[in-house]
Amino acid sequence: MGEKTDVWQGTLALMVLKTLEAMGPQHGYGIARRIEQTSGNALALNYGTLYPSLLKLEQEGAIASEWGTSENNRKAKYYRLTRAGRKQLERATREWAQATAILARFLEPAPESR
Amino acid sequence: MRSLRALWMRLRGIFGAGRAEAEIRAEIESHLAMHIEDNLRAGMPAEEAQRQALIRLGGVEQTRQAWRDQRTLPWLESLGQDVKFALRQLRKSPGFAGVVVATLALGIGANTAIFSVVRAVLLEAPPYAKPGELVSLSESKAQAGITGEGMSYPGYQDLREHGGAFSAVAGLAGHSLTLTGHGEPSEVKTVVVTQDFFSLFGVQPLLGRTLTAKDGERGAAPVTVLSEALWRNKFGGDPGIVGRTITLDMRLWTVVGVMPAGFRTPFLDQAQQLWIPLDQDPLFSVWMTHPPRTHWMAAFARLRPGVSGAQAQAELEAVSAGLSSQFPEEKGWTIESEPLQKAIAGDVQRPLLVLLCAVGLVLLIACANIANLLLTRATSRSAEMAVRVALGASPRRLARQLLTESALLGLLGGAAGMAAAWWGVRALRSMLPQGLPQLHPVRVDGAVLGFALALSLVASLLFGLVPALFASRSDLQRYLREGGRGGESRGPQRARSVLAAAETALAMVLLVAAGLLIRSFARLSAVSPGFATAQVTRAMVSLPQFRYARPQQWAAFASELMQRLQAQPGMGDAAIAAPLPILDLPIPLRFDIVGAPPAPAGEAITADYETASPRYFRVMGIPLLQGRLFGEDDTASTPRVAVISQAFARRYFSGRNPLGQHIVFGFPPDGRAAREIVGVVGDIRDESLAKKPGPMMYVPFAQAPLWGGEVVVRSRFSAAAAAAAIERTTHSIDKDLPVTDIVSLPAGVDASVAQPRFRTALVGIFGAMALLLGAVGIFGVVSWSVSRRTREIGIRMALGAQRRNVTELMLSSASAPALAGIAAGALAAALLTRLMASLLYGVSAADPLTYAGSAALLLLVALVASYLPARRAASVDPVQALRAE
Repeated sequence: MGEKTDVWQGTLALMVLKTLEAMGPQHGYGIARRIEQTSGNALALNYGTLYPSLLKLEQEGAIASEWGTSENNRKAKYYRLTRAGRKQLERATREWAQATAILARFLEPAPESR
Repeated sequence: MRSLRALWMRLRGIFGAGRAEAEIRAEIESHLAMHIEDNLRAGMPAEEAQRQALIRLGGVEQTRQAWRDQRTLPWLESLGQDVKFALRQLRKSPGFAGVVVATLALGIGANTAIFSVVRAVLLEAPPYAKPGELVSLSESKAQAGITGEGMSYPGYQDLREHGGAFSAVAGLAGHSLTLTGHGEPSEVKTVVVTQDFFSLFGVQPLLGRTLTAKDGERGAAPVTVLSEALWRNKFGGDPGIVGRTITLDMRLWTVVGVMPAGFRTPFLDQAQQLWIPLDQDPLFSVWMTHPPRTHWMAAFARLRPGVSGAQAQAELEAVSAGLSSQFPEEKGWTIESEPLQKAIAGDVQRPLLVLLCAVGLVLLIACANIANLLLTRATSRSAEMAVRVALGASPRRLARQLLTESALLGLLGGAAGMAAAWWGVRALRSMLPQGLPQLHPVRVDGAVLGFALALSLVASLLFGLVPALFASRSDLQRYLREGGRGGESRGPQRARSVLAAAETALAMVLLVAAGLLIRSFARLSAVSPGFATAQVTRAMVSLPQFRYARPQQWAAFASELMQRLQAQPGMGDAAIAAPLPILDLPIPLRFDIVGAPPAPAGEAITADYETASPRYFRVMGIPLLQGRLFGEDDTASTPRVAVISQAFARRYFSGRNPLGQHIVFGFPPDGRAAREIVGVVGDIRDESLAKKPGPMMYVPFAQAPLWGGEVVVRSRFSAAAAAAAIERTTHSIDKDLPVTDIVSLPAGVDASVAQPRFRTALVGIFGAMALLLGAVGIFGVVSWSVSRRTREIGIRMALGAQRRNVTELMLSSASAPALAGIAAGALAAALLTRLMASLLYGVSAADPLTYAGSAALLLLVALVASYLPARRAASVDPVQALRAE
């Protein structure tokens, strides 16, 4: 599996939002798998940490949930992006891009670490 | 917004935990099932598939807990736990909880009840439009020591015309008119007002309209505005009352409006009253053309917005100066203004604040008591605390738990206190002395309950802080070293003694205050007013102005009534007079002595005026000292005579014989009549029992009659029977005359000290509460120290100490904080009781007897409270005591 990176503080919510935007309504397990795949299996994501994060986003109104049936005919709770969530995603994406751009400028002269 | 919504969701999360728990369980279940399915599909064996899914999840229970923390607010949850735990703890010791809650209920209830009075009388703004702009006006003459007199009509006129700083000025005076045609003839309190009265106060009528300038114009029809209470009681709340006519003093008046019950006339605080324009008034309209010397109007003004106090003062000075140059006798008089609210509160402010302080002290004592109880409890719970520390509870967490317990106790006490306050306010309302200025009813409402709540929280902080502080320093090692014998470090021990001493000190302050008031009230009650009240009954008879217009009719009526009254079997002497001492306000009147050098302009000399029929002095038991009393042959057609009091003779005829001298005084049209002094009578206290007798001058009723007066009779009948006789006799002359204000003279004089009695009773009750609480506190401290020192006592006794020595030892250790408290309390009392000096009569605020008595009483109570546990200490069996340890 190789060396894995912990999920940075506050980025999990952004990943969840982006995943839901890309995939449409999805259950917790699906979101977790998708995040793992997207990161190229480079993230050490404890699936369990996803659930408080989902709950927090739901409390904030960024996502909504309802019970549905999975492709394997299994009962699962599906999450979908709300309009507020879409806005939050846009804003967070913008901020994140800014932050990485700034940080990139700092790190430019140094050689790539990985 | 986002975080607010989240907070709300999390608050909601605290409820409905069950369903959400089931949901997360199902969600995690489905998550695991899907993961295992995927793992199996990837070729894992069944067992490994399940294990891997669980590992990747990070544990079912852990996930649920993390989710739970996000779902609700953890600190709120732990608060909930603390409250639940605290409730369980209190349920386990119902005796302790009961004592604390009862003590608090007493303290908070009493404070809240007193606060409700303070709020209604002092804090609530008067119920008028923009009350902050309203001022009360009065006239004073500093060099003659006269303050707070009413305004004269010319003064009112000048100020109204000047009108720079004030947007409106209005005046009023009160008397009674006779209402007939609606049941028994009755007197209605009548407020005579100038044209701007209603617009000045800016309160809308309930029905119809208020009085305007037009109603005061020459030739205008008589109109009146009724109060809601009068409208409901006398006219059955008739909605068509406006436009109807009513009969007042045998004259027809058109009702133009009804004022709501919430509108009260300042200073004339009767609910059942009506208002009429000054120009229509049979009595006071005459005074509009009088020179300014008669200061008869209560006057009010509204400051223009933005006008400073200094500007208003300058304007008042200018008007005063103008009046002085216009009327020489006005020299030295100045018009003064005072914010209306302050003027209304007047002299009850000080007594109410003293009451509030006293009741606050009771609560402080209660808090000290409870703090002591909590300390004791905390020590006996030190095992529990040590275990919790050992299990990893932080000192802060422990302190929080203890503070939660105190806050819970405080709130329980506060709730019980609110119930007590509700009851207390009802009791207080019936105790409230008449004459307490009440523009608002005394009641329990949101603000009062808020006060009780705030008080209970502050109190719980006060008594909870000390034990919480010590608990957070709870020393595990020490506890284990002492083998759990519940030893107590020096800190709490000292705190306990300091609390007991503080309690004693506070109780001392209250006892001294109560003692001073009680002694003062005893002195006041023992004062002889200079007249004998026993067996005397008073009733007021008034003659309608329109049927009895001429003074000759008044005199004839009075003499007829007196003759018929005295003819009644069982009736002693009867007389008519006005104003009566103590029961009525005195009328100070200026006079001149014929032949004496005239007093310098503006320095009029005054004496209190009274008109009285011949037998008045016999009825009232006022002794004749020199000369003669009035006789039936002193009539309107004989030379004018007067009787003066001893104080008058002493002050103005020092050494000379006053008999045969002439003095000039009286009411118009006899204002400049010279009267020969024919007699000197004993002094009476006419203004109040607390005020030394001043000079009095009496005139025969026949020579200075009034439209009615105060009938006083001496009879061996009860007051009610005597009053019935007066009523019967009056109606035998004229059945339309109202007979009102019936009271036995002893009761009337007694009512005049209702305010001092009220505050004395209350502070006395608070003092008793303080004594009781202090005794309980000292008892608790000594009992505790006895139980702690059982082993020491055992050793002492084993070494040969006698029971007496042990008792003495315990008593002496108990008396140290008591003595310190008494000394500190005496010092504090010496500072604080100075505030009460103005409430005391015949007793100095530093009265040594009161101080010594309070100290002795407190010491005695302290000794008794500590004697009981000390005796228990002495009965300790040394063998048992040593073995027990």
